[in-house]
Amino acid sequence: MPGAPLPSDRPVPAHTGSSVVGRLDDALLDAHAREDRETLVALYAEAGDHELAAGNVDAGCFFLTHAYVYALEAGHPDADRLHAVLKRHGRDC
Amino acid sequence: MNSIDRRGFEASGALDLEGRGLPNAHYIDPDMFREESEAVLIRNWTGIGFGKDVPDPGSAKPVDLLGIPLLIVRDADGEIGVFQNTCRHRGMILVDRPKKLRGVIRCPYHSWCYSLKGDLRTTPHVGGPGHNMHADIRREELGLVRIRSHVWRDVVFVNVSGTAPAFEDYAATALSRWAEFEKPMVFGGPDSVFSLEVETNWKLAVENYCESYHLPWVHPGLNSYSRLEDHYNIEEPGHFSGQGTTVYRRFSDDAGRVFPDIEGLSQKWDTAAEYLAFYPNVLFGVHRDHAFAILLEPVAIDRTIEHIALYYTAEGATAPDLAEMRRANAQQWRTVFEEDVGVVEGMQRGRHGPLFDGGVFSPVMDGPTRLFHEWVAAQITNARRTASI
Repeated sequence: MPGAPLPSDRPVPAHTGSSVVGRLDDALLDAHAREDRETLVALYAEAGDHELAAGNVDAGCFFLTHAYVYALEAGHPDADRLHAVLKRHGRDC
Repeated sequence: MNSIDRRGFEASGALDLEGRGLPNAHYIDPDMFREESEAVLIRNWTGIGFGKDVPDPGSAKPVDLLGIPLLIVRDADGEIGVFQNTCRHRGMILVDRPKKLRGVIRCPYHSWCYSLKGDLRTTPHVGGPGHNMHADIRREELGLVRIRSHVWRDVVFVNVSGTAPAFEDYAATALSRWAEFEKPMVFGGPDSVFSLEVETNWKLAVENYCESYHLPWVHPGLNSYSRLEDHYNIEEPGHFSGQGTTVYRRFSDDAGRVFPDIEGLSQKWDTAAEYLAFYPNVLFGVHRDHAFAILLEPVAIDRTIEHIALYYTAEGATAPDLAEMRRANAQQWRTVFEEDVGVVEGMQRGRHGPLFDGGVFSPVMDGPTRLFHEWVAAQITNARRTASI
């Protein structure tokens, strides 16, 4: 299937629903289009951290997983922190 | 295989050439190409690329060996590794063009991530959204498939079958012969590399490189200073063959400048140069002031890409005032190798003559070529015997 994440013409999945995510949609799509890994890490981390702060662990770890993957790919210094959060929630090893 | 020449196909599986060259089938029959490729290229140490093509930590280059997708990667420690370029999850091609990896190798399909050493680092959402683990997915068992590899003279060799002797043993006689040339050599840069696409079976490029017999006819420009009698055969049965010259003359420009010599060479190399066909598919040349490697990429039974790269001492490779000489030296070699295209393509077309019986070898001049044929035949014989066990 086409791989554009969080396409703006479809609703955000229920488990990830949030106004913050909605606000980030355009920025995420733009960063994906530009293959801007640094921005992707920042945006997905922001979404993940927001969901975690709101008590939405599944949604938070979903977004943090994306942030972590792009951080790994980019050799981004936040990879260790993101991994630690996922590990603390039992989502990575 | 044509109906005329079924020589060599004994019930035992042994391929006996009866003193002649490989039959036509080895150059034009697709079934033989498949069998021979497995026996000769997959089971031995085959060149697939150059270290220069992955110059920095994180450099990655996908290559195709007989349809097998491989990935050459230089890791953070500077070591070169070769992996099957296939994700362990759903078999997706991981890297589809040369690139500089900043972190991990991320599969573009479901984003499984591998370290530059092939370890599986994470498996996003594998246990459901936001759950990156599952008991059935054991990361320690799902790293990239590493292909046995070794780098010699900047050529990246692989033994895909994993059954060949260790490279140091496989290449021991060549390493010994050229021990004096085990010195740091530096790729000459963008002007020191070129490729030739040739409509021929890769073996014919080896065969042509092995012998000096053709030099006065195909390379008449050499006659002025490098006569046929100035050359000698190099014959190491089972390992390599080639030719040498005793009248190597250094390349120089109009001002009389020359490339710096490789340090520590014995006097022999003041005027000697050697050219080895390192079986199966890499052709090397060494001189007192530069070296080259030719990687024969077997694209199809009748199509080969010759990848040529030239190397110098550190100063010879980088000195700005030698840039024009590096370009001219590469051009000089390009001219020589282009002169060979007509004969290797002509021999390929000649193999469609159904009455050609593999040809004969001059006992004096064709020894190195005969050795290569015998080595190929031995590889096929060994593979058939292994298969029948």
